[in-house]
Amino acid sequence: MRYQPVIGLEIHCELLTDSKVFCSCRNEFGGGENTRVCPRCSGMPGTLPILNQNAVRLAAKAGFATDCTVNAYSSFDRKNYFYPDLPKAYQITQFEHPICTDGHITVCGDKKIRINRIHIEEDAGKLVHDDYEGISMADYNRCGVPLIEIVTEPDFRSAEEVQDFVEQIALRLKYAGVCDARMEQGSLRVDVNISIMPYGSDIFGTRAEIKNLNSLKAIGRAIEYEIQRQAEILDNGGTVVQETRRFNDNHGDTKALRSKEEAHDYRYFPEPDIPPVLLSDDDLEDIRKSMPELPHVRMARYTGEYGLPHDDAQLIISSKAFSDFYDEAVKLNPDYKQISNIMLVEVNRHLNDSGKTIEEVLFSPSDIAELARMISDGKVSNNAGKDVLKIMFEHGGKPMAIAEQNGLIMSSDTSGLEAAIDEVIAANADSVESYKNGNDKIFGFLMGQVMRTIGKGGNPALAKDILQKKIGKE
Amino acid sequence: MKLTEMRAELDAKNISAAELAQEYIKKIHDTDGKVNSYITVCADEAAAAAEHAQSLIDSGNSKPMTGIPVSIKDNICTKGIKTTCASHMLDDFVPVYNATVIEKLNSEGAVILGKTNMDEFAMGGSSQTSYFGGVKNPYDTSRVSGGSSGGAAASVSAGLCAAALGSDTGGSVRQPSAFCGVTGLKPTYGAVSRWGLIAFASSLDQIGVIANSAADTGYVLNCIYGQDKNDATSSARAQGNYTAKVGSDIKGLRIGLPKEFFGEGISDEVKTAVMNAAEYYKKLGCELVECSLPSLEYAVSAYYLISSAEAASNLSRFDGIKYGFRSGLGEDYNSLISSSRREGFGDEVKRRIMLGNYALCSGYYDAYYKNATMIRTQLRSEYAGIFEKCDVILTPTAPTAAYKIGEQENDPVKMYLADICTVTVNIAGLPGISTTCGYDKNNMPIGMSLVGRAFDEQTIIAVCDRFEQDFERKEARIR
Repeated sequence: MRYQPVIGLEIHCELLTDSKVFCSCRNEFGGGENTRVCPRCSGMPGTLPILNQNAVRLAAKAGFATDCTVNAYSSFDRKNYFYPDLPKAYQITQFEHPICTDGHITVCGDKKIRINRIHIEEDAGKLVHDDYEGISMADYNRCGVPLIEIVTEPDFRSAEEVQDFVEQIALRLKYAGVCDARMEQGSLRVDVNISIMPYGSDIFGTRAEIKNLNSLKAIGRAIEYEIQRQAEILDNGGTVVQETRRFNDNHGDTKALRSKEEAHDYRYFPEPDIPPVLLSDDDLEDIRKSMPELPHVRMARYTGEYGLPHDDAQLIISSKAFSDFYDEAVKLNPDYKQISNIMLVEVNRHLNDSGKTIEEVLFSPSDIAELARMISDGKVSNNAGKDVLKIMFEHGGKPMAIAEQNGLIMSSDTSGLEAAIDEVIAANADSVESYKNGNDKIFGFLMGQVMRTIGKGGNPALAKDILQKKIGKE
Repeated sequence: MKLTEMRAELDAKNISAAELAQEYIKKIHDTDGKVNSYITVCADEAAAAAEHAQSLIDSGNSKPMTGIPVSIKDNICTKGIKTTCASHMLDDFVPVYNATVIEKLNSEGAVILGKTNMDEFAMGGSSQTSYFGGVKNPYDTSRVSGGSSGGAAASVSAGLCAAALGSDTGGSVRQPSAFCGVTGLKPTYGAVSRWGLIAFASSLDQIGVIANSAADTGYVLNCIYGQDKNDATSSARAQGNYTAKVGSDIKGLRIGLPKEFFGEGISDEVKTAVMNAAEYYKKLGCELVECSLPSLEYAVSAYYLISSAEAASNLSRFDGIKYGFRSGLGEDYNSLISSSRREGFGDEVKRRIMLGNYALCSGYYDAYYKNATMIRTQLRSEYAGIFEKCDVILTPTAPTAAYKIGEQENDPVKMYLADICTVTVNIAGLPGISTTCGYDKNNMPIGMSLVGRAFDEQTIIAVCDRFEQDFERKEARIR
């Protein structure tokens, strides 16, 4: 490929407020058509918007999560255009004075992607087309759902950088409780602006905007397709047209929606119905204080201070609840690796098998901390620990009590062990003889017999020592 | 009859709320044909409201507005009662909710007689652009009522209600009050909730009161003012008690006379009448202060750019999709929207929508809309400067008295220029009150306006009342 792609993003995120951004209708997904509408969000004459202060708070959090400046002064504007899913025929958005500006996120190790702005706006409704009847109907449930739009600079040079950015931003927004970032449900929507230029050039080409990307995979495919498409145009001596294109997931291609000439003049002007948003230093400090530790900070802690392998750390932080659980557990027992292993292997296996989430388990972080300590102290064997966890998962309960009730505590009583081993030696004289004659492999068989006799509470290390002594091989 | 007297009559049970309402309804049926001040008369609703009012009175729970018969401009939403904005676009529109001012009137047991005629979507100063026919002036039915709250002013002037709610974006309460010989108060921007007022220009619109006297406007404002959780631009600074200063001594009060309001374009008869009023105040011991509002010459342009830009956006929701008029034509949504708007709106509304959209277009925005907002800032600071030296400002309400119907219809620019005396008050968000200060050679009322500091309605009401005490009003021919 002789061309360098240049990519910028516009990401729309639905805010996790209880109610819509300018009225008290519930902010939810799904449900029957027009079941969450009121005079305000359906644009009835004479109605006025009242700004949801929690939307402001969440937008500010999005700013703090992306190293933006959260502005003390921001204001709303109207973006005017006619479409039947937009009942007021204007969208209330922040054009001139957005709430957050000048942020950044580092992707793919060390590449800094600048964020131009984050602004608050309202979502539009949806048109439902009935081709059979030849009619269209408007569903206003989504009207007034609070959004933030995150606009980046054109700093991306590959699909991987874009995917890493989207993944990171989605995770940070989830951590901050700003957005649930479910791309497939449309609660996080990515528009990609992409152009290409010859390598070595610093003059950007004409860009196309690609809409309707509802997965990381679709983003990657759309970018690759678009690079190819634009390269073919340039290779054939053509020029790329500035236009909006729609990605088709089934075909893996993009189709033109509208060209620049058909683009609207949105006639922006300040929204007279909403006073400017003023955030005092105290307000900003209050919001900043409510921010959780963000995933990239946690990542650094896990791989640095805790010495976890990168992939393990990545797996833990990929869910805030899981990561919170881990943090609680290691606070009580700083055996970072042991607890990481228990959670990533055993706990995760049970979660996957049962379809449950970490929030739904019957045990607490302190139970996991205790279980890890029991294993490292030699109170239960690794294998017995798995059995204890299985019971904790299915029925709940404290690990020590479970181990005791089920005879899983490793015994250090040598007299009982010796009797059991003598029994095994007597019953397997041939094998003992064979071992003494140099068949080392048969030791494992004999150990198995010993373990079966002494049960799960038996201490394998101790048993091994005694057996070795008794059958005379040093 | 003053509203305080009407209150006393009702509470003394010299007249019942039902009788009073019936009297007004009958009068409307008998005489409104000559004035056309009402679009919708609510006889049944008024009777029910009067019955409720009477029960409040009988149980000793009457409030100031209990049983008082009022009219409501037809751009203020009334639940279950048609609210048309005098437009074909909304000629069958029935709101599902009440404006805050209606809720407040209802909670005091006021009796709403009906919805008054106006310029279509409140755009105009003559009330002749109504889809339901123009409003005629009760002093001379060959003349306009003024507007846009022409029906409201005429309904008071002709005695077809005790008081009226109108709306004022650039003079729409004060100017028709001047033309119809009554008193009209535009409160400070933010003093009265706009929730339920169908928006014309959101940053300028304010619901106001038209009544027979300054004291009466304050009396009604006491009921409808106040910060409202449904209107983020409503203010906690509105203090109420609007008739508190009525009757107090105004000696030493400084009255500003901005010279630009007495220049070219203002008729000599108007100038003389307003200056006579100034002399009257001087005799009472007020100090007349000559002052200046240099940016007045840009005010009409700025007003039409800002108001039309906001209107273009506010009226975009009338698209034939959700409510109101829908054209039968249209193969796709674009043609459905455009034909509905083409057929649903009148010419003046279309003119403003086009002007407003033009002013907001990229490429023109800076030259028009942005410049207009800079003039707004300038005017505000000039007013602030004047109020350092004066307590109230006295100006004419309109350059002339009411003109003949049809006289200015074909000259929009001339009509727009006639708003020169009132628009700056809206641009600066100040309170203003207009009352009759004389009559021209045709015996038509001449209005003067008193403008006060933001949220100081008390003072202008009191100063206006003082003048009214000694001024002998002529009654309208139709009354």
